[in-house]
Amino acid sequence: MRQLPMLASIFAMMAGSALASGFPVTVKSCNRDVTFDAAPSRAVSNDVNLTEMMLVLGLADSMVGYTGVSGWKTLDEKLRQGVAELPELSPDYPTKEVLLGADADFYFAGWNYGMKLGGEVTPETLEPFDIAVYELAESCIHIMAKPKASMDDLYVDLLNLGRIFGVEEKAVALVDGYKTELAAFTARLDVTDKPKVFVYDSGEDKPFTAGRYAIPTAMIEAAGGTNIMDDVESSWVEVGWEPVIERNPDVIVIVDYGSVSAAQKADFMRHNPAFKDIPAIKNNRFVVLPYVVATPGPRNIEGIKTLTAAFHPS
Amino acid sequence: MSHKHLVAWPRHALIHTMPWLIAGLGFVLLVTLMLAVSVGTIGIPLHAVWGIIANHLVPGFVPVDWSPGRDSIVWEVRLPRAILGAMVGASLALVGAALQAVTRNPLADPHLLGISSGAALGAIVVLLHTGMFLGLITVPLFAFGGALLSTAIVTGVANLALATNASRLVLTGVAVSFIVTSLGSLGIFLGDPRAAHTVIFWMLGGLGLAQWAQLPFPLLALLGCGAYLMANARNLNAMTLGDESATTLGLPVARFRLLIFIVCALLTGAAVAFAGIISFVGLMIPHIVRMVIGGDYRRVLPLSALLGAIFLVMADIVARTIMPPQDLPVGIITGLVGGAFFILLLRRNGRIG
Repeated sequence: MRQLPMLASIFAMMAGSALASGFPVTVKSCNRDVTFDAAPSRAVSNDVNLTEMMLVLGLADSMVGYTGVSGWKTLDEKLRQGVAELPELSPDYPTKEVLLGADADFYFAGWNYGMKLGGEVTPETLEPFDIAVYELAESCIHIMAKPKASMDDLYVDLLNLGRIFGVEEKAVALVDGYKTELAAFTARLDVTDKPKVFVYDSGEDKPFTAGRYAIPTAMIEAAGGTNIMDDVESSWVEVGWEPVIERNPDVIVIVDYGSVSAAQKADFMRHNPAFKDIPAIKNNRFVVLPYVVATPGPRNIEGIKTLTAAFHPS
Repeated sequence: MSHKHLVAWPRHALIHTMPWLIAGLGFVLLVTLMLAVSVGTIGIPLHAVWGIIANHLVPGFVPVDWSPGRDSIVWEVRLPRAILGAMVGASLALVGAALQAVTRNPLADPHLLGISSGAALGAIVVLLHTGMFLGLITVPLFAFGGALLSTAIVTGVANLALATNASRLVLTGVAVSFIVTSLGSLGIFLGDPRAAHTVIFWMLGGLGLAQWAQLPFPLLALLGCGAYLMANARNLNAMTLGDESATTLGLPVARFRLLIFIVCALLTGAAVAFAGIISFVGLMIPHIVRMVIGGDYRRVLPLSALLGAIFLVMADIVARTIMPPQDLPVGIITGLVGGAFFILLLRRNGRIG
């Protein structure tokens, strides 16, 4: 009979630790419910911004590698240090063989951020191999209806990753920190003067820009501006130059990556006679955001600060 | 009475050793499949590859000293892929041979007559507009449906325009192909531009989507349509002599041509639905076979099937190993090799065209 209280307390401790760890955990990835019985230990992430989300939560030890970076982007110093111990499994989107060869059990990617619709690597094709997939919230627009892009997309991804890997407290702290920082920021903004902004990713005969469902829209609004293309019902999308000229942006945000430099992109716009009356060109108001800042990831807050400084120079 | 003086010696010898030729090519196909399973991005030692296969056939035969990931690579990724490559290669080569006989056009290939543009249209509708609402089978289903629709249009137009003779059927097919391709381009334009590259990859052809559950479909098409074509080999021979000669031999030419066209469309549709548009196999393989063995379709058909299978599996091996760890669309390899080969062919053989 004396063992009973001891047994009871042992059970209570075990139950308590199970509750504290939170497993099994179910998260919503786009339109799927994914259940994890334990934190993945062999995770792979695709692309710079998603890899950085894993690193900012301190998950490098749960990863076996990353993909989709050197194919068309370069790692900056901070990222290179973070992934120093991890191999790049593929310079572009990985194939099934690459993921299986790494004995991966988790793939963090997005639609057009590591997975193609109807392609070889999708949540459905990886399921038979017990490779769980979490999809980037911003990219869900490619397979389902979704509300307009907002910073919540980033927060939801970080919180979900926190729950999946059992580092929920860290994720909550990070997200709360971002929210506080952002709130302090926006409180100081003058909301009456909202510059019109055009996001220029790439393209010469037709520009590739950020539409309603891409995160730059949310970032621009948080910085006190409006994206001239925020009525385009798409994520990252190709438009024509005529609507750009007609909507007269006050500031142009250039997304920097790849072989064409930001300076070259700005020069292209400056030297094209069709654009000479655009206020942004006349007043030479360009802002450069590196790719990793302009796509969902931990650096978005820093990106919003850069934008705010550029939109409201006073 | 000896016929040796009618046929050059090497070809004569080959004609009379057909069973050996088939067995020989069959053996080469087997070796190629073995190679396909053994090589790839992830280096897996040979004993592990064969251990994995042995264990799937006879459970517990070999002690396991590899990870489950590697087991999946060999059995669930490479093996179905190699088998699909063999089936698609054989299908496309058979279709090319049959269409070349029935249209008497050496440039006829499975993609000429609008079948593949229809399949591409089906895939575009799914990938850019409806999404995979039926799961993994959505794209193959719609691609096959698109191929059938295109075939129906070509057959209908050919009947209406009384274009069932050889060259007019080709022209009808080309015309419908242009229309359907333009509709496909419209579909791409109206869809999400960021996803357009998904469609391009599909159209370039690739065996990466191969999985065991889907293999019975192209297999059924190959066995059924292949058997029909081989059973009609003598009639195909008659067709190559010209419509009048074929008619005097008792063949209902117009009807037979349309029938062969429909059977080829079914076989092409099944191949394209699972592997995208792979160029040049259907065009090139029958020419090579005919160069060696002559124009008798009783021999050309089985040899084309075997050679087509070997060629596509080899092209896929190159596609997977030339730029590791990336997977080149196999259509690029077949196009490059096919184009180069075709130039050589034109130089060697002045009778073409």
